[in-house]
Amino acid sequence: MGVTKEDVEAAITSALSPSHLVVTDTSGGCGASYEIEVVSEKFEGKRLLERHRMVNTALAPHMAEIHAVSIKKALTPAQAQPQPEPAADKPQA
Amino acid sequence: MNYSSGQSSDPNANMDSAATRIAVDPDTHQDFEPKSKSSDMSLHDIIAQDVKENPVLIYMKGFPESPMCGFSALAVKVLQQYDVPISSRDILGDLKLKESVKAYSIWPTFPQIFIKGKFVGGSDIILNMHQASWKGELKKLLSDVPRKGDKVQPQES
Repeated sequence: MGVTKEDVEAAITSALSPSHLVVTDTSGGCGASYEIEVVSEKFEGKRLLERHRMVNTALAPHMAEIHAVSIKKALTPAQAQPQPEPAADKPQA
Repeated sequence: MNYSSGQSSDPNANMDSAATRIAVDPDTHQDFEPKSKSSDMSLHDIIAQDVKENPVLIYMKGFPESPMCGFSALAVKVLQQYDVPISSRDILGDLKLKESVKAYSIWPTFPQIFIKGKFVGGSDIILNMHQASWKGELKKLLSDVPRKGDKVQPQES
């Protein structure tokens, strides 16, 4: 039941053809909560809000069954190269 | 600010009698009947005014002192780093407000942060903008918001 990590990956892959994608199930297995890191050329020239909207749109068909999605990174390939980011605080839903 | 549910003035409540009246009375016209959307419109206007009047406004679950959700807590924590007055609205007890804010920003989740009248995003975005990788974008955005110490203004109503 629920949405699998593979479902989330497939939805994002088909919408954003990412060069880097990490989907982490943070629900403890029930499939209700995911953390996502995406690097995609399609983010080029887009503000953060627009990038997050693109990810949300890609996941929209699954959102009814997902309780929480946290987009940790939404970067362009150029941004992803030089700067290693500090680890983000993880909120619990 | 009063976010009344508008229950008593629900135009749909009059629908049946209005329809009947139109059929019976040729002098009435449906243009003069209450618009079914009017209650949503006014809440939309209230939100528009609220985000304009409060340079940093967060729609969240719970209150800054007692957030009811980790994401809301995180967003408040980030904003509090900047020493700007934060206005907050609790959407947990007000389903109509909750749905109206979602429609206003076209954003599915809470918290939602508005800065200087503009929708900025949710907790992930605010955290990202706070972090070094986005070059202090949040700091820039908040730079011309008047500082008021660390004062947090909870919702009245």
